[in-house]
Amino acid sequence: MDRMSLSSKTRAAQSTSERWMRYLGFPGGILLFLLILYLPAGAGLSASAQAGAACFALALVWWVTEPFPTYLTSLVLMFLLLITRTSEPKAIMDVLGMEVIWLNLLAFILSSMLVKVRLAKRMALWLILKFGRKASWALMAFVIIQMVLAPLIPATAARAVMTLPLMIVVAAIYGASEENNNNFGRNLFLLNLVGISVLSSMTMTGSSANLIAVGLIQTMGGERVYYMDWVRVGAPIAIMATMMMWWLGQKLVFPIAAQDRLPQLEGGLGLVEQQYAELGPLRREEKKALAIFGLVLFLWMTDALHMGWFGVEISAPFAALLGAVLVLFPRYGVMQWAEAEIPWHLLIFSAGAYAGGLALDDTGAAEWGVRMLFGGMDLKGVPFGVSYTVIIAVMMYSHLLTTSKTVRTLILLPIIITMAKALGWPPIAFALPAALCIDWVVGLPISGKPNVILFSTNQYSVADNFKYGVLTCTLGVILLVVSGATWFHWLGLTPSFWAVAP
Amino acid sequence: MKRLFIALMFISSAAGATVIDRYATELDVHADGGSRAMVTLDLKKCQAGRFVLPVGFGGMDRLEVQAAPDGVVLKPVPGKESSTLEIELPPGIAASNSLRFAFAAPDVLGRPKTAAGEKAKIAADTQLLRHTFVNTGALEIGVYELSVQLPGDLRVQKIAEQLPRTKRSEVLPRVRLDRTDDRQGADLQLANMKQGDRTSMVLNVVSARHSYGWLLAGLALSLAYLVGFRSLVKAEPSPESQSAQPS
Repeated sequence: MDRMSLSSKTRAAQSTSERWMRYLGFPGGILLFLLILYLPAGAGLSASAQAGAACFALALVWWVTEPFPTYLTSLVLMFLLLITRTSEPKAIMDVLGMEVIWLNLLAFILSSMLVKVRLAKRMALWLILKFGRKASWALMAFVIIQMVLAPLIPATAARAVMTLPLMIVVAAIYGASEENNNNFGRNLFLLNLVGISVLSSMTMTGSSANLIAVGLIQTMGGERVYYMDWVRVGAPIAIMATMMMWWLGQKLVFPIAAQDRLPQLEGGLGLVEQQYAELGPLRREEKKALAIFGLVLFLWMTDALHMGWFGVEISAPFAALLGAVLVLFPRYGVMQWAEAEIPWHLLIFSAGAYAGGLALDDTGAAEWGVRMLFGGMDLKGVPFGVSYTVIIAVMMYSHLLTTSKTVRTLILLPIIITMAKALGWPPIAFALPAALCIDWVVGLPISGKPNVILFSTNQYSVADNFKYGVLTCTLGVILLVVSGATWFHWLGLTPSFWAVAP
Repeated sequence: MKRLFIALMFISSAAGATVIDRYATELDVHADGGSRAMVTLDLKKCQAGRFVLPVGFGGMDRLEVQAAPDGVVLKPVPGKESSTLEIELPPGIAASNSLRFAFAAPDVLGRPKTAAGEKAKIAADTQLLRHTFVNTGALEIGVYELSVQLPGDLRVQKIAEQLPRTKRSEVLPRVRLDRTDDRQGADLQLANMKQGDRTSMVLNVVSARHSYGWLLAGLALSLAYLVGFRSLVKAEPSPESQSAQPS
């Protein structure tokens, strides 16, 4: 509980099937690589895009089956991107300087500070004593925290960073650590991932991609979406989905064993109470840490006002950077560099994953894949509900093909609006529900910045993330389809599900 | 030079009200790097007079007019980097017209020349297809389109340049790859080109045939792994098999 403990050790293969998966994962990845590389060139696909897709598929199989540690797979991927002429050397190397990598690095400095001064422990023990006497209520406490933070801090990565130390300590209290993964840990981290990402779709200011979608709906679709228009359709879906995943996660996906439902500390809750009491009043170091974290939080929450105040926007990584400067400041800071637990192996994993994702975007492979999802579909003359369901499903699952919400929005929304016009439906009937799917990027550890940050705790595998994420997305599709047939229709957003365009 | 400029201004302004609605070029690239271009020019609000049509290819040769209203005269002016075509529209011409003409354009595909001792900037098996079109004429072009078809045994390795960058309001990318009759191609498009506007693309082109190197390397590595790491799936994982995972 007093250390972050993020080693570079690979999770041990626990079952026979897991060992076989590891053993066959290596040739399986190579087989998929060769298959994609030697496939006849698709129309519209360049050789570099095809090679990029092959490299990414290989890495994906290896990340899921883990024949090697994930960071080693990332390094292999980076080399493959070069040798297959998918990306330029500079583009591959530059990923280590990307905003998300910096944010990851600085997040671990801030998290280390909270853990070192025991502020994270104090907050976690308080949370457990107040709400977390049972595992399910501890999980619910995090859902509420993410629900409160979502409208206040638009940057999803910032939300992940600020709640990460709390997650790590609460996980430790329930016996989940990097070395000893358990289903409470899986539920905790993946539910937070869902909370951070999906709850961004409650408001149109939840992410910049949401605002781009609103702009496209207005310029191309000719209809203006107001703040409350978005909230009344987006918020109920996002909240319902998160609540349902809270329940489904612990009951169905990763059932929490009876012994894991209570705090795993020797001495039980009595010890939790005793430890909390032993912490005593806030110490000077804790107050300092609280002030630094408060300053960073303040900058994250007020980013829209920075231009007026400072003439420049202090983005999330730079706010964290300022925090790190204060944390590490000699004599007046809170800790020294050597005390910061920075998991470089996880930053390398993130860098490789982003290099692969960017290669898919830059070579046009992602765009080709997304366009192919709609290609060949003849939706003329079919009932509105069928076209609507297809569009929602494509929009929802297409996040598995690209790492950028903005890219996905810029590619898909214009196609959806154009398609709606061609089919004779009001563009907003397709475009607004489709825009509600933008933030549901929960399928893979590289699908978004919070994914990378939370995956770096090593508390769950790529396969765990995929299982939980795909279920969440499927739930989202079901909720959006049911809503499209009922209350979206009653609100006048969608036509009747059985209507056929004239 | 000054006289030439005045003459060009005069020529361009003569048919000044004519509008080029669509300027589409289909470029059939040959294996030797040469090509045959087929141009379709849709004109609107035609007025009698002469105008200069920029052609984005140097060394324009063997002009062949395939469809044009009576009295329309086309005069090629080949240039080293890019050529032009003087088009004269006769009096009494209909308001809307379509012209079709073809010409040969040499060296559209090839390897860039490097000086002795200079480091090569592209791979030995890669050729470049460069195209730059600048609207040097006075008439605005509604839509400029170029469709390139590569020889059957070549394919695009990557789109190295596509300018200007696509705006958010544009649905289609600047350059889009496609495939017709088992030949890969690329389509460049830009709308509303005013005088001085420019569009360009550079394609890196390689052989469509795959080397078997990857297949052999992949199979060898797979086999080596299955042998070297077989301890992973022994009945009871030995300490050795666990340590096979680097820590």
